[in-house]
Amino acid sequence: MRPTKFLVLALALALSGAASGQEKKIALGAAVQLTGRLANTGRYYGDGYQITVDKINQKGGVTVGGTKYQLALRIYDSQSDTNLGVRQYVQLLTQDKVNFLLGPFSSNDALDDSSVAEKYQVPMVQGGGASTQIFSRGYKYVFGTLPPADDYFSSTIKMMGKLDPKPKTVALVAADDSFDVSVANGTRKLLKEAGLELVVDKQFRENNADFSSILSLVKSKDPDVILWAGHEGEALNFIRQAKSLDVNPKLFYSFTVGVPTADFRKALGKDAEYAFGMTPWLPEKELEDDWFGDAEQFDKEYQARFKYSPDYHAASAAADVETFAKAIAAAGTLDPKKVRDEIAKVEFQSLYGHIKFQPNGQISLPQTVIQIQDAKVVPIYTEDFIGKPRYPIPPWSKR
Amino acid sequence: MQLFGQILVNGILLGGLYGLMGLGMGLVWGVLKIVNLAHGALIMLGGYALYFLYTKAGVDPFLGLPLAMLAMFVLGYLLQTLLLNLIVRSAQLNTLLLTFGLDVVFVYMAQLLFTADFRTINPPYAGKNISLFGVTVPYAQLGAFGVAVLLAALLYLVLDKTRTGRAIRATAQNLVAARLYGVNPKRIYAITFGTGAALAGAAGGLYGIVSQITPYIGVTLTAKSFVIAILGGLDKPLGVIGGGLVLGIAEAMAALYLDPTYTDIISFGLLVLVLIARPAQLLGRA
Repeated sequence: MRPTKFLVLALALALSGAASGQEKKIALGAAVQLTGRLANTGRYYGDGYQITVDKINQKGGVTVGGTKYQLALRIYDSQSDTNLGVRQYVQLLTQDKVNFLLGPFSSNDALDDSSVAEKYQVPMVQGGGASTQIFSRGYKYVFGTLPPADDYFSSTIKMMGKLDPKPKTVALVAADDSFDVSVANGTRKLLKEAGLELVVDKQFRENNADFSSILSLVKSKDPDVILWAGHEGEALNFIRQAKSLDVNPKLFYSFTVGVPTADFRKALGKDAEYAFGMTPWLPEKELEDDWFGDAEQFDKEYQARFKYSPDYHAASAAADVETFAKAIAAAGTLDPKKVRDEIAKVEFQSLYGHIKFQPNGQISLPQTVIQIQDAKVVPIYTEDFIGKPRYPIPPWSKR
Repeated sequence: MQLFGQILVNGILLGGLYGLMGLGMGLVWGVLKIVNLAHGALIMLGGYALYFLYTKAGVDPFLGLPLAMLAMFVLGYLLQTLLLNLIVRSAQLNTLLLTFGLDVVFVYMAQLLFTADFRTINPPYAGKNISLFGVTVPYAQLGAFGVAVLLAALLYLVLDKTRTGRAIRATAQNLVAARLYGVNPKRIYAITFGTGAALAGAAGGLYGIVSQITPYIGVTLTAKSFVIAILGGLDKPLGVIGGGLVLGIAEAMAALYLDPTYTDIISFGLLVLVLIARPAQLLGRA
């Protein structure tokens, strides 16, 4: 950091400290992967929380029983270490005495960290864990703003019924972490209901770098469709190795993550073309928001501040902070149990979408099917087609 | 049968690259008795070096490889001269601690300087391939395999035929005798560690062509290099490539015929087997 920049920052911190001396604070805490192997997605949470907290404070903070409160954010770097994250959440509650908890990225982490929230009976609203495992334990203090992992491929499979030519055979390739196991379980059920035949069903080790064996097996079975579930780094390896081994689905392939992010397109270049994916969120004007105006505005401010585009992870993080702002105001107190009950009842329109939690604590949002066309993310299908798919996708040799 | 052939070829091509990863680790381990826990971080740095040579300077990755290796040699030489030589003959725990510390420093510096974004070295031919008897052979992987074997052969020749190479082996075998014959061990150590770093750098560059580079790829690769170096016999270059091939083929076969989630079990299962069958390999040398 340059000395001048540092000085300005120190000055700003000092000033804000002095100004807020009289103001009351509500502290939100989280342990997020700012470094380590999940840092690339973890940053959406650190940055998404920060920009939303700042925005709410700038617009007057939160009024609790007639008194104005400012939000304060306490973030630890869990270094992509799940065990460290759990310890940091305990520290947030026992030493830092934060009022409420925001979540980490990834289902594996949310699964463990949310147990801390439940144990101390402090609500956690988390936007980074989609696995249904998190919400099937009967916990009362955990809420999630990612749509259920089981349903990630639901809109894609519905779309498959309306495509011409109609796909018949599917290869399912999924990682073995909590999120992807959930995706795979849900997808198997959906495929069965849709009458599609599963010709390859393989699980791979999380963090796997070599897909040559799985790809060769897929090639030998020649499926119409490849449905793939894993993390972004693995998706890049899978696609690059599919190209080098000349493995093509007859009709198309789709990936649970990666496709909506700018980083994915940058790393793959032309090879990202035609990839299908999904997102519960796109930065559209129709998504109105009390603090940011709308999702488009959020997208702009986020890019201007952090110099990279937000994707649905960042929007989900923003919705988590907004959920607390709404629920705390409605509760009129900082009592964790009362705020928890208000979160369960909360219903509002946000830049991320319509926020309302189901009885198990998870939100329900439809996934929009997207495809990369000319280096852009194009929405293709929600309830029906909203864009024209490039379908069937051409084999590598004809691109 | 065709599938079997394809998997075998996949395993061999991957194994060559694995061998190259193990080569630098085995050399440093065999000669300096240092288990270099920063080896994976050096692979990662080599990957970034080649990535920037390709994306910023437009140098073809395979032509840029010697440049990246040279940069890594200089880094390795300096590390050994300025840091590791201070403790090279103290207890092994010290060298473990120091290299572990270096690993942490390199990884976090890489995140600060290069961010956690995924980087791929993607020359136009990276995804091209030829088909031989129904088996698809990717050019980039084939090239990586060729470079790995070439470098191993080169290392073998250097160690066997040149004066410096003989000095390296002499230092490894009997330090006192080597000094009596006029070998300066500190210089030899620096050259050896530099060579190890250069080989790691080459592996990193090739890894960026067939896979991707982030600041965090190193941990897994250090573990793999460790296994391969032991399988192959530390400072025997051709043996280490053999070790890489064994691991590559075993992983590829396991992924198809057992389950793709078993690859780690295979790597470390092989390690345990070697330790049971030939413990002298480790205890006698390191």
